[in-house]
Parts: sequence; structure tokens; C-alpha cells
Amino acid sequence: MSYTLRGRIETRLTAAVLPFLFAAVASPVLHKWWPLELAGLMIGIGLTLDAALYHPLLPYQPGWVALPLGLFELGATMGAARLLEIHAPLYPALGFFAGAWLVLQVLAHAALPLLRLTWPEDGGELGRGGIALAAAAPVAIVVVVGIAWAVEPPTVRLAAGVHPGPLVLDHAQTITGEPGAVVRGGIVITADDVTVKNVTVRGGEYGIEVDGAESVELDHVVVEGAALDGVNVRRSQVEIRNCTIRSLPAAFTQGIDISFGNDLHPSLVEGCTVTGGQEGIVTHFAMVMVRDNHISGTELRAITMTEMSMGLIEDNEIDGALGVGIFCGDYSECEIEDNAVSDVEPDLDSGDLTRLGVAIQAHRGAQAQLRDNVVRTSPGGVAAFVDATIREKR
Amino acid sequence: MTPRVAIVGSGLGGFVAYTTLRHGGLAPGEIAVLGNDPDPAGAWRPRAAAIRQRLMRSESDGHCWPTSFPGLAAREAARRRDLWPLVLSVCDRYRPTVELFLAHVDELRSSSHWDESFRQARVHHVRAVHGGFELDGHGVFRHVLLAPGHPGLARPPEFEGDPRAVHAYEPHAYASRVAIVGAGMAAATEWVNALAAGAEVTSIRRREPARRPLNVARPLFSKRGLSGFRAAPRARRAELLRGFGEPSYPPGRSWDAPLEQATREGRFHVAHELDGVDQVICATGFRRGFEHDPLLAALVSEHGLEAESRWIVLADDSTVPALTDATRTLSLAGVPAQWAFPAADTLVGMKFAARGFRARVERCRTR
Repeated sequence: MSYTLRGRIETRLTAAVLPFLFAAVASPVLHKWWPLELAGLMIGIGLTLDAALYHPLLPYQPGWVALPLGLFELGATMGAARLLEIHAPLYPALGFFAGAWLVLQVLAHAALPLLRLTWPEDGGELGRGGIALAAAAPVAIVVVVGIAWAVEPPTVRLAAGVHPGPLVLDHAQTITGEPGAVVRGGIVITADDVTVKNVTVRGGEYGIEVDGAESVELDHVVVEGAALDGVNVRRSQVEIRNCTIRSLPAAFTQGIDISFGNDLHPSLVEGCTVTGGQEGIVTHFAMVMVRDNHISGTELRAITMTEMSMGLIEDNEIDGALGVGIFCGDYSECEIEDNAVSDVEPDLDSGDLTRLGVAIQAHRGAQAQLRDNVVRTSPGGVAAFVDATIREKR
Repeated sequence: MTPRVAIVGSGLGGFVAYTTLRHGGLAPGEIAVLGNDPDPAGAWRPRAAAIRQRLMRSESDGHCWPTSFPGLAAREAARRRDLWPLVLSVCDRYRPTVELFLAHVDELRSSSHWDESFRQARVHHVRAVHGGFELDGHGVFRHVLLAPGHPGLARPPEFEGDPRAVHAYEPHAYASRVAIVGAGMAAATEWVNALAAGAEVTSIRRREPARRPLNVARPLFSKRGLSGFRAAPRARRAELLRGFGEPSYPPGRSWDAPLEQATREGRFHVAHELDGVDQVICATGFRRGFEHDPLLAALVSEHGLEAESRWIVLADDSTVPALTDATRTLSLAGVPAQWAFPAADTLVGMKFAARGFRARVERCRTR
């Protein structure tokens, strides 16, 4: 196919209609911006490449070229999404992109040549329909983005300096801290669609408490010196990214505790650094993905998934834990993959035989599936107790 | 229903125009096809057989359906439940067999009710009259598409009357020492065929053939390449068309390997003149230019139509500008339509002319 520039753009816009509509529906349904943002990015990058690269370089484009160009555009889109901090979950984002690419291929190779006889010889141009589409596209984008903008939760900028807490967030909003913004005495979140970014929390019983809320995002938060949990999540669905939790060495302190949300969408803890405390990241009766975190210096267990929890523990680094590194307990089902666990010390004072420096442990009816974990200097190795099973995943 | 639309020529060009009009909603009774042979592949079939052609040169759009998709590749993939034809198609490597193509023509001939529109008639003159065109006593038609095909085989004059000479597109066997005149696709096919038959082959050529997948560069199949071609001054445009007609055949090992092996064995050589051969095969294609076609030559002279070199000057949609207006249409399809579409002699080119014609017919309220 030899596209004209206009043909490329019109074909691109036609193919973008369906993914754009899908994103326009998915965003409000999911209470997430990423589908719309990703769709916009995808279209923008595609049109830019059409004009700047493909048109001058490809006077004729064989069908097979769509595949490498698609992969190139995927890389560019995902790279740009990362750069612009669009927090699109990887697999759904890949699925969305793949779906949109497929729509483009079906249109270009089958539907448009069928619907418009002269489409191939017109170089992909769509005649008056194409002009209308090109005119409608910016209007549609403005309308959808405008509506989205209008219903977007308000954004509050937290100035640098110390703000007295507890800060109670009981309606949808985004709190963005300027460098040096500190809340003393904790944050309490009780509403859906709350995002907290770039805020340091000091003190409080819980650093950040999330109760009965969904679609809550904590991004680049730092919690220091909370009396109990750094982040305490109950009956809620959260995504916690790139956090830093420094727990006090007290009897009941935990870095992140996500509990009692097994009937909700899975929560996520990703890219966090948790230091000290009794437990690092713990889940009770919840579905959670725990990945790419670094946990060190815990006194009971580094990562705990227990009380019929389900989830994935992957790519975490654990070092210097006392007793147990990763714990899958009490009829939970855990997939434990690609973690590096080192220097788990035996807890001799406890007198508990299950705490003799076990890097990965399944306990009481739990089922753990393991793959590609690296265990170093942990005398207890990998072990199962009390009717628990450990299986190597192929 | 009295037909207002006529197609002159019942070969593949006329057939593609017919299926395109039928796809546009015209009933068989609204179209008259005037030609010699009710078989649309009647002229093409023996030529392909003569050069023992097994595969089509054209790619995925080389079929007679009015829409580009689904073509032979998609249908073959569906029939065989095998994605391989589609993979070949997206790589521009799908070449349907002649057998498959001919079966497709037969099937489409039947399903499009072509025979209901066909009239055995030879048209010698097209005369513009009020409200249409008078076709040699066969009636007046408002919209006429002329698809006369190639105006006969080209034979080098030096071989006229030579009992050893045969044209590549005429039935022939191979002698033990064969000279093949020409350097295009038919010649290349004959080299390979004659060598496979055990002959010693001398290729007589005036110039080296170009190696390209198609005669015309691919961008010239769409608006992208056509816009530059059409913007060129007339003389330059004619020069470009002459260039597209230079001999060529596709690159690839399937051509090169037998020639290289035969050269090593001393069974294939290139020469400029004949030297003691048993048989001369003229793979010199067709006569070129509208003046070799009595119908077109008369049309141009009687109506004072514009021409440049050997081409009739056409509008971009393949119509004859001086004889086409809001009430009537005269279009050319096939090789005489190269002025509008350089690859007009391919199936894609025939579709181009057919779509332009159909658009004119649809726009005319009194069709």
C-alpha cells in the first residue's frame, strides 16, 4: 500500500475511533485516567510518526511492515507513558495497545477496502468522510477531555512545611505535596478516588490509614515513625507505588498492612522501600500483588501473605530479616517468583522451630508456588510447616 | 429493461468493469457486453498456456472481484484453513496459480450472470451522438467503456515469413536449439521453459532487462505516485510511460538458478544476432499504441481526440475528456488507459478504470 500523507492520517484516525470510545467508557467505569491518557498518547505518537517518519521513509509499505512498526510504536508509547508518569498497569496497557493495533490492521487490510472501493488507489484517503473525520477528531478529543477534566477530582497542592494532622480525606481528590511538604500526625482516607503524591507523613498511630475506600493511589509517599502501621489499609483497594516506610522498632509496628479486601479488586504494592518494624508488608484476607520492593531489618517477617490471602510476590529484595523472609500462611495461595532473599537470621530467642532463618515459608494449609527465587545465607532455606505445600512452578 | 451502459470488449478488462458495475447495483439487463468470446479469459488463457505460465505475476489484488478484499489469498486461506497464503500476501509474495485464477474467473462469470449481458458482436466504430454513443448499429448507449485489449502480437519484421519463427503467445513446442527474442517477463519464462525442456537457448536482446517485481513501481498504483506522474508535462508523461514498458522480470532465485546452471553447462547464452538455430521464439509482447487498434484509431481520427505519442490523452478517471460530460461517459480500460493509470494493463489497473466508470454512471441521474 502506498499511502498519501492524508491517507495515513485519515486511516489512523478511523482506526483510533474504536479504541478512543473504549477508553472514554473504560476511564469513568474504572475510575482511572490511564485508558484515556494511553489512547491519547497512542494516537498522538502514531500521527507524529506518520507525518515525520513513515510518510517520508515509506513510499510503499508492504503489509508485513505493520508488525515492526507496531512494536516500535508500542515501545514509543510505553516509554512516553513512563516519562509522563501515566500509571497504566502493564498487561492491560499492552492488551489495549494490541487491541488498537489489531483494529487498525483489520480496517486497513479488510474493512476499508471493502467499504470504500477506491481506498487502496486513493492512498488510504477517505474522501469527504475523511475530511469530516479529521475535523471531528479534535472536537471529539476536546469534548471527551473537557468532560473528563470537569469530573476529575480536585487537586490540592500541599505547600512545603509541616502541616498538622490528622488530615482526613473524605471525598475524591488528589493531594500533591511540594518538595518538603510534611503532614504530622497521619492521613486518614475514607473516600474513593483519592490520590496522595509526594507527601511525607510523620508520627500518628497509623501513618496513612485507608478505610473502606477504592481506587486509592499512594505515590512517592514517605512514612516515618508511625506508632503502629506505616500504611494501614482495611476493606479497601489501593495502589501504593514508590513509597518509603521507616518503622519504629516497637512490638507491633508494620510497614504496610492490607487486610480484609478479598472481595475487592486486587491491591498493589510496588517499588517501595520498607525498613525495620515487626513486619514489612503484610496482607490478611486480601488479594495483593507485592513486587519490586526492598524490605530490610524486620523483626518478625519481611513479607507476610496470610489468612486466606491470594497474591503474587515477585521481584522483591529482602535482606537482614529476623526469623522469616517471605511467609505464606493460613490457607493462603501465594505465587512467589524471582525474589532475592538474603541474610535471614535465626530467631533463637523465640524458641520457635519455624523461625530458624527461613527464607521462604509456607505454613498451615497454605499453598505456595515458587519459581526462580534466589536464597542466600539463610540457614532455614525454603520450608513448609503444618499441612502447607510448596511447589516449584515450571 | 433497455441497457444504457455498454462494455465493448469481453476480455478481462471488460469483465472487471462488469463485476464492478454489478457490485454497484446495476442489473445484468442494464449492461450490454459486446465482444467476440463469452469466456472472459478466452484471449488470456491460450497465451498463458503458450508460455506455460503456472503462476500469476500480480500479487494479492490480482483478481476480478470488484473489491480488493477478500482476494484470492484470503479465500485460499479460508478454504485450506491455512494462514500461509495470508502470510505470503502481507509479504508481497503471494502468487496464485493460473489454474486457481482461471477457476475464479469461471466462478465469477457464473455468479455475476455475465452471460446474460453478453452479446456476440464486433464493434468497429464508436460514434458520439446526442445523449450517448452509437455502437456500430448495436444501439445508442449513454455510458460506454472500451476495453479492446492488446492490439495484436508484436513480431519483429525480420522474422515475418520465417518458418522457424513463432510468437511466444502462440502454441509451440521447443526445438533443440532455440533463439528467444526479447527480454521481458514472457522471454524470461521462455528461457526457463526451453531450458527445462532440454533445449540450448540463445537469448536475443537489444538491452538488458530490468529486475523488478512489477512493471510499474508500486507507488504508481495509488494516488501517491500517480499525482507526480499526472502533474508531469505531456511529453515527460509519455517518456515515463515508455520507461515503464521497458523489458523487465522479477528478481529471485527461481529465475536466476536455472539460467546460471545452464550458462555453466554452455546451454544458455546471450547474443545480439541469430546464429544457426532451429527455432525462433518471439517473446516480443504486443503491438503498442492506439493507432494499431482500428477501433481506437477511428475514434481518435473521427472525433479529433487528443493524443500524445502512442497514447490517447485521458482524464484522471480514465474517461475521454472531449466525449464525457454530465450526461454521457466514454471510458477506456486496459492497456489503452495507461495515460490515466500506468499499470492499466494489470487487473488492478482494470479495476481503477472500472471504478472511475462506475462513479460516472452512478452520478448520472438518467443512466
